[in-house]
Amino acid sequence: MTLRRRAAIAWLAIVVAAACFLAWHFQRGLPLNTDLMALLPREGQESAAQKARDAVSQNLGRRILVLVGHPSRAQARAAASSLSDSLDATGLIEPDTASGAQAMLKLAQLYLPYRAGLLSDADRGLLEAGRGKEVAKRALGQAFGVGGTGESLIARGDPFLLLPSFLMQLPSPMPRAAWDEGLLSVSEAGKTWVLLVRSLAREPFALDVQERLNAAYSQSVATLKAAHPGVEVYRTGAVFFADAGARTALGEASTLGALELGGTILLILAVFRRLGPLLLNGLAGLIGAAMGLVSCLVLFGEVHVFALLFGTSLLGVVVDYGLHYCSTEFEPDAGTPNERLASIMPGLLLSLVTTLIGYVALTLAPLHGLLQIAIFSVFGLAAAFATVVLWFPILDSGRRTRAAGWVLRAASQPFDFWEAGRWRLMRQGLLCLGVAVALVGLARIETNDDVRGMQALAPDLVREQQAIFTATGANTSSEFVLIEGADDETALRRQEAIRPIVAELRAQGAIAGALFPADFIPSSGRQRENRRLVQRELDPLLAAHYAALGLSGARPAASPSNTEPLTLAQATDSGAFDFLRNLVLAPGVHTGLLQGLKRPDLVRDALSHVAGVRLVEPAAEISALFAKYRQRTVILIAVSAALMLIPFAFRYGGAGALWIMLPPVASIVLTPAILSLIGAPFNFFHAMALVLVLAIGVDYSVFCAESRDSSRATTMVAILLAATVTLLSFGLLVVSTAPAISSFGSGMLIGITLAFVLAPLSGRCRSPSAISSHPALDRSRQDRGQQPLPWVNAE
Amino acid sequence: MSAIRTFLLSLIVCCASLATPTPLNAEMGAAVGQTPLKDGQVLRGRFEQERFLVGFEAPLKTAGSFTLVAGGGLIWRAETPFAVTTVMSPAGLVQEVDGAKTMSLASARIPFMTKLYSMLSGALIGNWSDLEGTFKIARTGDAKKWELRLTPIAANDPAMPIEAIIVRGKRLVEDVVVIRSAGDRDHLRFSGQSLETVAPTSDELALLALAKQL
Repeated sequence: MTLRRRAAIAWLAIVVAAACFLAWHFQRGLPLNTDLMALLPREGQESAAQKARDAVSQNLGRRILVLVGHPSRAQARAAASSLSDSLDATGLIEPDTASGAQAMLKLAQLYLPYRAGLLSDADRGLLEAGRGKEVAKRALGQAFGVGGTGESLIARGDPFLLLPSFLMQLPSPMPRAAWDEGLLSVSEAGKTWVLLVRSLAREPFALDVQERLNAAYSQSVATLKAAHPGVEVYRTGAVFFADAGARTALGEASTLGALELGGTILLILAVFRRLGPLLLNGLAGLIGAAMGLVSCLVLFGEVHVFALLFGTSLLGVVVDYGLHYCSTEFEPDAGTPNERLASIMPGLLLSLVTTLIGYVALTLAPLHGLLQIAIFSVFGLAAAFATVVLWFPILDSGRRTRAAGWVLRAASQPFDFWEAGRWRLMRQGLLCLGVAVALVGLARIETNDDVRGMQALAPDLVREQQAIFTATGANTSSEFVLIEGADDETALRRQEAIRPIVAELRAQGAIAGALFPADFIPSSGRQRENRRLVQRELDPLLAAHYAALGLSGARPAASPSNTEPLTLAQATDSGAFDFLRNLVLAPGVHTGLLQGLKRPDLVRDALSHVAGVRLVEPAAEISALFAKYRQRTVILIAVSAALMLIPFAFRYGGAGALWIMLPPVASIVLTPAILSLIGAPFNFFHAMALVLVLAIGVDYSVFCAESRDSSRATTMVAILLAATVTLLSFGLLVVSTAPAISSFGSGMLIGITLAFVLAPLSGRCRSPSAISSHPALDRSRQDRGQQPLPWVNAE
Repeated sequence: MSAIRTFLLSLIVCCASLATPTPLNAEMGAAVGQTPLKDGQVLRGRFEQERFLVGFEAPLKTAGSFTLVAGGGLIWRAETPFAVTTVMSPAGLVQEVDGAKTMSLASARIPFMTKLYSMLSGALIGNWSDLEGTFKIARTGDAKKWELRLTPIAANDPAMPIEAIIVRGKRLVEDVVVIRSAGDRDHLRFSGQSLETVAPTSDELALLALAKQL
C-alpha cells in the first residue's frame, strides 16, 4: 500500500472518529454560547476592574424585570401573581426572598441596636451644626402630628426617631416603585403597575434557558391577556435580548446558509454540468465544517453562535481547493487525477500556507469569539485540504467535461483586461481612479468602534425596557463606580468622602441617583462619630424631650449601650441585604451603582482626582479596546503581508513576490477607502474582514501566478467560482441585521471583488510550475535530472 | 432597600390617612347617604387625638383643627401641646413645628403619597374601591347612627401595620379608632365640622402651596 493510500485511510479514520464525536455531541445537545460579551477583548484592564465589570455584568445580566399594568389594581395584582407563578414554575428563577415586608423585618432587627451610629445626612448636618433641638422638634412633630414614623420606637430607645430618618434617606434601585401588600407597585395615570423583579438561577446566554423562559413567559402572557382584557405586560432582561439576538443570528445563519448552499450548488452544476464535482466539493466542505466544529468543541467545550455563523460561511471557502482541483479537468492537456492534482499542488500548498497565516493572525486578537472562528477556520481549511489531496484523486472517476464557452469567456475577462493592448487606456484610467479613490478615501477615513452601535437590539424589547424604566425609575446604568481600598473600612470611608461629589452630580443632573454600600452600612469610623454626635448633642436634651412626650422615670439614652459598630459582614450575613453581596466584590473592593446616568464625562471628571475611586464604563472601555485592536489588526495585516513575501520570494524572486502581493495589498488598501467614500466609518470588523481579504486574495494571486498561459482560462474559472462562493458565503453577511456582522460582510464584499478583479496582475510573474507543471513537462524535468513535483508519482 | 423605606413611609401616610377624619367623614357620608365633598367645597372641623403607644404610661394627646380643600389638600393643625402643622397634597407632605419646617416628603420619592391622594380623592366622591382592595368593610347601624369596621383582607401580612379601623358617626363622622399591629392605638374624636363653599383663606392657600411645591 502506498504512502498516500495509508494517509488516506488514516484520514478516513480521523474523519469517522470526528463524525462519531459530533454525533455524540448532537445527541446530548450542542453546547451553543450566545453571550455577545464573549466576543469582547479581555486584555488591557486591571483585574479589579475586570472582576467588577464581570460581577456587575453578571448581576445585571441575570436580572429580569416584568411590569404588569391594569386599570384595576386587583386585576393587575392577580395577573402579576399568575405570571410570577408561571416564571417560578420553570425552575430557572431564584427563589424570591426580597419580599418587602420580610426584608423590612430583617432590616429593622439588624439596624435597631446600632441606631445611634446610623444618622441621615440631614440629621448629621444638624447635629454637627449644634442644632440638636431641631432634631428633637421633628421627633415631637412626628409624635404629635398626623400619622407618624413608627413612634413606638420612642419607647424602644430611639426617642429622637433617628432610625426612621436614616431609613427614609436610603437610596432605592427602583425609586418610583413602592411595596404594596407584598408587591412592588406604581400607580400612575389611572393604572396600577406591578413590578416583578427576579433573578435567573442560570446563565442567561444558554439557549435552553432562553427557550424555556420565553416559552413560559409567552404562554403566560397569552393566558393573562385572555383572562384580564386590557392588561399590559412589559419585560426586560439580558435573557430576553439574548434570546432575540440568538433567534436573529440563527435565523440569518439558516437563511444565508441556505442561500449560500443553493447558490453554490447551482454554480457548480452550471459550470461542471455533472454531479461529480458537486459531490466531491460537498464532501470537502462538509468535512471542513465538521472538523472546524470538532476543533471548537475539543478546545473550548462549546461553540459560540457567532463561530457557527462564520463556520457555516466557511463552507464557501473550503471548497476553494476542491474547485481548483476540479477546474483542471477543463484543461485540454489534463492528465490523470493524480497528474491534475500534482499540477496544482504547489499552488494549493502555497495557498494553504498563506491562508493559514491570515487565519492564525485572527488568533492574535484576544477575542474569545474570534479565536473560535480562527480555530474553526484553521482546522476546517486544513481538513478540506487533506480531503482534496488525499481523497479526490481516489474518488475522482476521471470523467471530464468541457467547460461551457460562456464560463470560459467570463472567467478570462480579467486576464484579458489586464493584458490585452486594447484595454491599455482603460487600465490607465482605472489605475488613476484607484489611486484617486485610495487618496481621497483614506484622507477622509473615519473610525467608529462604539460597541453600543454594533449590537442589533430588538426594537420591541428596547421599547418595553424603556416603558419599565420610565414607570419604575429602575434605570441602573451599566456604568458604575469602582471603589478600592486596603480593606472594607477604607472603601466605605472613600464612599463617604465622595458623597458631596455625588450630591453635586445629582444637582447637576449628571445622574439621577446612586447606590453605594456605605449608604446602608456606614464605615465604623462614621458610626463612632455619629454616636459621639448623638451623645454630645441629643443626650443633654433627653430629659426635656421625654417630659415633652409626657414620659417620666428612667429612660434609655439616645445613644444605645451597644458600642460596637455594625459591620458589612453582619449586614451581608443577615439576609436583609441580598443586593449588598453583589456590590461588595471582595474585602476592600466595592461597586456603586448609578441611576439615570446622563453625563458620564462629568462623573468621570468629578471622580478622577479621588484616590481609589473611578468610574468604570464597560461599553466605552470595550469600544476603546476595539479601537486599539482595530489598529493592531491593521498592523497585523501589514506584518502578515510582509511575512508572505518570504515564501513568495523563494519561489518567484523578489520582483515576482511583489507582483503576487500587489492585488491583495491593493484590495486591502482600496476597501477602507471605498468604505470611507460611501460613508461607512471603518471599524474593527472591517479590519477583521481585511485579514481574510488578504489571505484569500493571496490565494487568487498564487493560482494566477501558477497558471500556465494555456490554462489561464481554467484557472480563472476556478478563481471565479471560488470568489463567487466566497461572496455568497461572506459577502451575503452584508445584509445581516447585526451591524458588526454587516460590517464584516461589507468589507468582504468589496475586498474579495477587488481581489478577484486584480488577481490576474500577479500573472505577470512566472512561477516554475507555470513553466513546468504539466506531466509531460515534469517528465522533461526528470530527464534533466530534476525531482518531480510532489505527489505526482506517489503511487 | 426600597422595601424598608417605602414601608415606613407607607406607614406614615397610611396612618395619616386613617387618622384623618375628613376623607373618612366623606366616605362615611357616602356610605350612609351623606353628600360627599364636591369641588370648591371646604370641610373644616376640630379634632382631639389620643395616641396610645406601647411603653408610654399615658397617651399622647393632641388637639387642633383640620381643613380639607377639595382637590387642594389637607391641612392638619395640632395646637396643643405643640403647634404642629401637617399639609398633604398630591405632591407630598410637609410638616412644621412651631413654624419651622421639620419634614418634607415628596410623592415622587414616596410613591405611596400618590396612592394616598388617589385614595383621598376616591373617598371624597364616595368611592370605596381603593380601600376595598385592602380592607374588608363591615357596616352596621343606619343613617342616623352607624359604625364601619375595616379589617385587612390579607391576614398576617407583616407589611400591613393596621389590625382594624373602627369609624363611628351620626350625620358626620364623630369617632375613629385605628388599632395597629404593634399594640399601638390612635383614637380621634371630631367636632364642629362644617361644610363651606367659601374659598380657602390666604393662609391655607399658602400652606397648601408648600406641599404642592415638593
